[in-house]
Amino acid sequence: MIFEQIFNMINVGLVVLDKDLNVRHWNRWMELHSNIKAEDIIGSPIFSCFPNLDNPKFLRNCKSVFKFGNFSFFSQKLHRYLFPFKPDSTFGSEFNHMQQSCTMGPLRDESNVVSHIYLSVQDVTEIAAYERKLVERNMQDGLTGIYNRRFLDTKLQEEFSRHKRYNRPFSLIMCDIDLFKNVNDTYGHQCGDVVIKHIAALMGSVIRDTDFLARYGGEEFCCLLPEADFEIACSLAERLRQAIEQTEVTFDGQTLNITVSFGVAYMYDEVEHAEALLQMADDALYAAKKSGRNRVVAAP
Amino acid sequence: MSIAAEQALSRDEQDILQELMNIAFGRASADLAEVIDTYVVLNVPEVRTLKVVDLPEFISTEISDHDIISIVEQSYLGRFKGVALLIFPSGAGRELLNLFGDNVEDYGEDVSMAALEKESILEVSNILIGACVGKVVELLDDEVSFSPPRIIIEDHPRNAIPCEIFEPNSLATVMRTVFQFSDRNISGYLFLINSSESFQWLKKALNLFMEQYE
Repeated sequence: MIFEQIFNMINVGLVVLDKDLNVRHWNRWMELHSNIKAEDIIGSPIFSCFPNLDNPKFLRNCKSVFKFGNFSFFSQKLHRYLFPFKPDSTFGSEFNHMQQSCTMGPLRDESNVVSHIYLSVQDVTEIAAYERKLVERNMQDGLTGIYNRRFLDTKLQEEFSRHKRYNRPFSLIMCDIDLFKNVNDTYGHQCGDVVIKHIAALMGSVIRDTDFLARYGGEEFCCLLPEADFEIACSLAERLRQAIEQTEVTFDGQTLNITVSFGVAYMYDEVEHAEALLQMADDALYAAKKSGRNRVVAAP
Repeated sequence: MSIAAEQALSRDEQDILQELMNIAFGRASADLAEVIDTYVVLNVPEVRTLKVVDLPEFISTEISDHDIISIVEQSYLGRFKGVALLIFPSGAGRELLNLFGDNVEDYGEDVSMAALEKESILEVSNILIGACVGKVVELLDDEVSFSPPRIIIEDHPRNAIPCEIFEPNSLATVMRTVFQFSDRNISGYLFLINSSESFQWLKKALNLFMEQYE
């Protein structure tokens, strides 16, 4: 009597299946989330209401639990859910379905033979939403909202390997706000932040959807350009330079004109590692600074 | 927790455990064929008692066939209590994915091939460990529950297994076997590491097991 109450009151979905995978028990949590009453599903194969479970992996794991009395785990990370239910909480708005972590385990009869299996279904939508936010934040620069250095380093390696494998074009732009120290010294660091945010947003609106713009350091940015050859990369850098030259940043009633210097590097066979490409762009940027700033210099 | 050497399994007890595992693995192998549609050869297991701090070096020596490895860990909890480690050579995920024939398309667009390969390793580990440990405890008349398996080391050089993954200062009974999927180029090692906490019970259970034959 008490066990039956626990079965129905617990905030977890519980299902019991027999050897033929017919539903034997279906708790209240499952009723409420599936809109299927226990009396309507008990006795029917689980697949009659949930055809998505009729797949090799689910069947393989059922077999394993019946044979070995072990447990099977269906993590949210890969499976998202076993039972397609609507999300329950406000966190669910970003998911089409309730995110579930499910476990399958053995139930034995008097002679210790596994005669049934249970499935427990836990709603992990909230955790999945938090995790998604954390992953996003881990890739984002706090001030500008564009990608951060950590993301850039990983992505650079990925794109570099992709280039090596498929021999597709790949370019990279490094750029740095000209005389940024003067902005900070004259107008203060808050103004410096406004300038960095403004430039990041402007560049973000000019680059292609397939490019990755990241804040590399203080006032330095890096843009990865997959599938961009040397001409495309140089013309994009020039467009960025012009867009910034023509823009005005206002802070505290004052108007500032900002310029940026650019270094462009293009990937070719002799470039042996990703850091070398970055160094080439950095050297070109240094040359752009040396030769008077507000210009695009391409690596030789 | 440290433990005196005399509390560890005796030579005879280790021999019984080895024999029992041999029977258990034979049964596991037969049943595995039904579950995953392929025959898994489980070699004659070896049993020995070691200090936990010596485990990384022991494992590294025992698996000298492969240089880059991944390790899956899963703990089992009953009176028979410990940690199972499954060691695969680098690249096994791809082979295992082919074995199951699961498709990337079945899992939505944001699931990468790498994630799917990892999942295949975890699923196979869960089933293999479940089968081997399940059959051993069945013979010892115990029941165990399992924690979810997790990949603790991914594509790591075998000679650099960090010792932090084990609880130091204790003795462990290590049961080691080599497994091989027939018709597939997949093989690896299974280590069952029973902590000293279960030694007392294990001694009794092994003696009870022997009584059936005496």
